[in-house]
Amino acid sequence: MKRKNSQSTFKSDLQRLEEISILLDDGEIELEEAIVLYEEGMQLSKKCLAMLSSAELKVNELKSKIDFTNEENI
Amino acid sequence: MNDVTLTVSEITRLIKNNLEENFASLDIVGEISNFKAHSSGHWYFTLKDSDAQISCIMWRGVNNHVYFSPHDGMKIVVIGRLTVYPPRGNYQLEVRTMNPAGVGELQLAFEKLKTKLRDEGLFDPENKKILPELPLKIGIVTSAGGAALRDMISVAERRFPLVRITVASCIVQGAGASDALVAAIQSLNKQNEVEVIIVARGGGSLEDLWAFNEEEVAYAIYKSKIPVVTGIGHETDFTIADFVADYRAATPTAAMEIITPEKREIENLIKSFNDEITDMMFSKISEIKEQILLLVNSYAFRSPLELLKLYNQKVDTTVQRFNQMMDKYLNNRKNKLALLTTKLSANDVQKTLAKGFVLVKQEDKFVTRAKKFQTAQPHSLIFYDNQIDCNK
Repeated sequence: MKRKNSQSTFKSDLQRLEEISILLDDGEIELEEAIVLYEEGMQLSKKCLAMLSSAELKVNELKSKIDFTNEENI
Repeated sequence: MNDVTLTVSEITRLIKNNLEENFASLDIVGEISNFKAHSSGHWYFTLKDSDAQISCIMWRGVNNHVYFSPHDGMKIVVIGRLTVYPPRGNYQLEVRTMNPAGVGELQLAFEKLKTKLRDEGLFDPENKKILPELPLKIGIVTSAGGAALRDMISVAERRFPLVRITVASCIVQGAGASDALVAAIQSLNKQNEVEVIIVARGGGSLEDLWAFNEEEVAYAIYKSKIPVVTGIGHETDFTIADFVADYRAATPTAAMEIITPEKREIENLIKSFNDEITDMMFSKISEIKEQILLLVNSYAFRSPLELLKLYNQKVDTTVQRFNQMMDKYLNNRKNKLALLTTKLSANDVQKTLAKGFVLVKQEDKFVTRAKKFQTAQPHSLIFYDNQIDCNK
């Protein structure tokens, strides 16, 4: 469960990071806002990199399988 | 021959014994026609050539070992025996094993199905789903014990260990493989958790890979709501499943490589975002610095000082002007006063003179005392009405 969360945040974090770079690219942005975004971006990238380096592959078997083959062997 | 009369049952039994004993094991080649897969699971069809035909039956427990779907027009080789069915009085071939008459037959079937499905639009590019950019949940449809699965897992581990793999295992060759593949694809769709499905199988012969050329597998892939990537056999193997899939990778490992980014790529992406926002921050700051400098140096920003100076100057001017005004005013007043004074004093003298007094003037000065009068010098007498100069 925890993994599922970290997995889904990884993607949204990455998207947010992209969003921040777009927001910062806007020349109209106020300095205060830019600083807040920049700090958020730095934290996100740090977090994502940490997540990536500590990730372990998870493999599981699908349980809810409709089994046609058994049916045929009856 | 003899005069014994036989019943229908008796002669049928004789025929049955005779045929079944003499044709207990047969290898027969022929073309399928009138193929029917009955709901009971048994197959009924006719084998024919240009001049003859023979009825065939293949029981459910036997036909599930056939790795391909037979269809009309297909040339096959069967092994079986003759049986007689007394209630109908006919004979039929009871088929034990069935194989295509040659690889050519499978290729023919392949081409036929390919054309059919293409005409139905199953291969149309506009029907292809777009693969997710960064799938973190991947479904794999393949054999649980196969090398293909192991290879794919190690690729995922190496490239992008953040992914979670769900394996819907199924048999991938032989009888029932196509049904199992369909079931696995449908199950992953039903579960609806993975973002992309890899349908894979390691290399093998055309027969080994045949399940991936079955119509039902093609439809299962086509109907899958989750994008499907195929990685079947080797580089040179093309199956019907490959044509229907949203993306065809040459091998199982290639399929995994295509849908997973390399860890380093993502790291670089994150780092590039990092650099990007840092650069932007720096340029923002220097931009603001510039703005501040510009402001500091601008007339508007210096205005307090400037205003003060201006104010002082204004005050000075005002004071000066005020002073000037005052001076002018005062001078004016002074002059007026002097004039008045003169006038007043003049008036005073005139009044006295009018009474009969006389003023004595000598050398332009009034002589106010007798001792100052110089008798030898000329003098003037000033009356009220006139002045008399006495020059002696």
